[in-house]
Amino acid sequence: MSADGNGVRPGALGPKIGETVERFELAKAWLVDPVSGREGPGEIVVTDGILESVVWLEGDEAAGVTDTGVIVAPGFLDLHAHFREPGFEDAETVASGCAAAAHGGYTAVVTMANTKPALDEPGILERVRSAARASASPVEVHAYGAVSAGRAGEQLSAMGELADAGVLGYSDDGAPVKSPKLLRSALVYAGMLGLPVVEHAEDLELTAGAEAHEGYVASVLGLAGWPAAAEVGAVARDLAILADVLGDEPRARLHLTHVSTAPALELVRRAKANGLPVTCDVTPHHLAFTDEWIAGSRRWAWEALGADGKPRDPWVDGALTGQPYDTSLRVNPPLRTAADAAACRDALLDGTADAVATDHAPHTTVDKEVEFGLAANGISGIETALGVLLALVDAGKLPLARAVAALTVGPAGVVAASTRGAGTSAARPRGLVEGAPADLVVFDRSEGWRVTPGSLLSKGKNSPLLGREVPGRVVLTIARGRLAYEDPAAGENDA
Amino acid sequence: MTTVAPAARNAPAVAWHHRNLIDLDVVTWPEIELIMRTTDEMNGVLARPIRKVPALNGRRVTTLFYEASTRTRVSFETAARNLSADVVSISTATSSVTKGESLVDTVRTLEALGAEILVMRHSVSGAPYRAAEVFGGHILNGGDGWHAHPTQALLDLYTMRENLPGGDLHGRKVAIVGDILHSRVARSNIWSLTAAGADLWLCGPATLLRGMDRWAAAWSGGAVPGHGRFNVTSDIEAALRDADVVMGLRIQRERMQGGLLPSLREYAARFQLNAERVSLAKPDAIVMHPGPMNEGVEISPDVAISGRSVITDQVANGVAVRMALLYLLAGSHEAAHGEAAHGEAAR
Repeated sequence: MSADGNGVRPGALGPKIGETVERFELAKAWLVDPVSGREGPGEIVVTDGILESVVWLEGDEAAGVTDTGVIVAPGFLDLHAHFREPGFEDAETVASGCAAAAHGGYTAVVTMANTKPALDEPGILERVRSAARASASPVEVHAYGAVSAGRAGEQLSAMGELADAGVLGYSDDGAPVKSPKLLRSALVYAGMLGLPVVEHAEDLELTAGAEAHEGYVASVLGLAGWPAAAEVGAVARDLAILADVLGDEPRARLHLTHVSTAPALELVRRAKANGLPVTCDVTPHHLAFTDEWIAGSRRWAWEALGADGKPRDPWVDGALTGQPYDTSLRVNPPLRTAADAAACRDALLDGTADAVATDHAPHTTVDKEVEFGLAANGISGIETALGVLLALVDAGKLPLARAVAALTVGPAGVVAASTRGAGTSAARPRGLVEGAPADLVVFDRSEGWRVTPGSLLSKGKNSPLLGREVPGRVVLTIARGRLAYEDPAAGENDA
Repeated sequence: MTTVAPAARNAPAVAWHHRNLIDLDVVTWPEIELIMRTTDEMNGVLARPIRKVPALNGRRVTTLFYEASTRTRVSFETAARNLSADVVSISTATSSVTKGESLVDTVRTLEALGAEILVMRHSVSGAPYRAAEVFGGHILNGGDGWHAHPTQALLDLYTMRENLPGGDLHGRKVAIVGDILHSRVARSNIWSLTAAGADLWLCGPATLLRGMDRWAAAWSGGAVPGHGRFNVTSDIEAALRDADVVMGLRIQRERMQGGLLPSLREYAARFQLNAERVSLAKPDAIVMHPGPMNEGVEISPDVAISGRSVITDQVANGVAVRMALLYLLAGSHEAAHGEAAHGEAAR
């Protein structure tokens, strides 16, 4: 396979998924290396699965290469994915999840434990790993174990055995650890094991029956309000417990996933400033979509704020162009306001948010083609995360390098923040390192792609972006030297 | 001297082009006036000795009620029969819905069985939009969750116009009192009454107004085209003072279990529409209620049957308004005015 950055593709005669990439050259592309912090024109050569050379071009050689064409970046790491296996294979399998991940530019994921049965003992982890091996995909599948046995919130899971088996942390995601007492124990015990607790922060009593972010849109649509306070209060509780246990177990670590409200992000910001060992991620959908999408708006979150920074009213300015009450928009935590989305973006810019994690939550049509209030929560998002971030980049809201960092070194740093996690392959620095196994994504910013049930490799077609063009076509994903994804159109444009 | 042909003189200023009627948010004021005029005609039909016209002869109207409501269902069915439509009636207790059949499947099945107009009542907000995605005919919303009850708001508007001097709501003070938070009647009335230029006040205990202040704040600048601002308050006296229309909403016992109200007794003591409170309104103010009433809770029995009460007018006008809407929907064409584009197909 050989190509240059002028639209030539890796070639259709390359290896099959999972096979070592014997030879791949890309001349005149825009390289982004978030480890060194360098980006610019360059070329790469992969030989026998190894990133043999990374050459930065200068002067005449670099002429005409911009960051709006073909981009090479390290492969992405997703800290939050639901691959549904075992138990919900109609919605996703490890194999379909890996294919979707690679289509999204990801070379490693961490799956959540809310399978059936829950991943609360090593046997279930082995089932996930065996499915990953059987898939032939080179995408690395890591896992969190459950905090509580059966995710029932009553007693601790087999945390020590799970640590020995290689989980990267503990989460009852899908639900919070409701009992503050159990959370306290979990933080201390996981800290002893050198791993974080990954918390879905939600006050379940405040959100009982809730359908949409409590505010103007929910009021007009007659949807039961999902108060921001349910997240803010839970985050405050979690941080207070973390601060409290550090005296007993200084290795305790808390990671807050899918933080979605401005006040909760502000709490994390202050906690970090105070030196608490907390990390957090935000999702692509909370960065890009808002609650007004449920009313039928389809504009990006940053387009929903006026020049004065005040929210625009979709009932005033004709933004309501789509289907109202679309169940692909029902997600936990719910889509928030444009101001909250801007706060997620600000958190990424100042480092309050360490990473973007997809919370990829595929669902069957049976669970989604129902009334809004009865629909399952979740967005199938691992394939569109890059496109959503590039939309932010295109709008001038996020530098390209920061977007790439949030998908690579950011999440790797979260894993590396715990002593046991730091020793795993998930924590390895995600840079363009000569001599290491090639782990990278090539995407073309000059081309978008249309999100359709057919173009999504995930079994979950529950994307609010269906029918829409998103920027940044992934051309090639190589994971650990092996082919993970290749654009089926590759080679068609060869001159 | 020029003459105007009768046909031109009588031509309506606006044609009906909505395939469905799910919410009043997409209905313009001229369209509301068209509904009002059509309702006048239907009331003319109802005044005849034989209250039946063949307008929808052979057309198939199906009522699909996922929530028990004998009153509303009978009103729709009476309206459909008055227009000579064939009526099929389905409620959850007797349908396969209870066997786990999905709404989408049910609607597809009803269409295959010949349903042309689907009157739908559902406990989940937005459910008729889901149905409209798969239904090729016309959907008339008979109430969905807390979201919308457009025929109720239209019959309320019609009844107000009928009873107010001059028949105009412009500048008239309308107070709606009760459980606003959970009320689809209140939400639909916000759209219609702010379009009519009324001075609208929503009143109830603060726990039952939650969120509505944000809606009112968003509209406080009068920014939404065709809609004025409205007020939200827990001050019952401010809401009722000099009102032209006083409307009570039903208070449900579940609200106490949810911790939203201390007791029905306390609600009645502070918010019940009784003679003393209603006397704050204008002397000729009318009293309304969408029913069913909890007499002695949100409204006192003497007020409910007083000379000011137009509650039975509301019931009678409900049939005429529903006749008008069935008639207009049956005559609308899907692709008219490009309505099929985007989500408008369902709107």
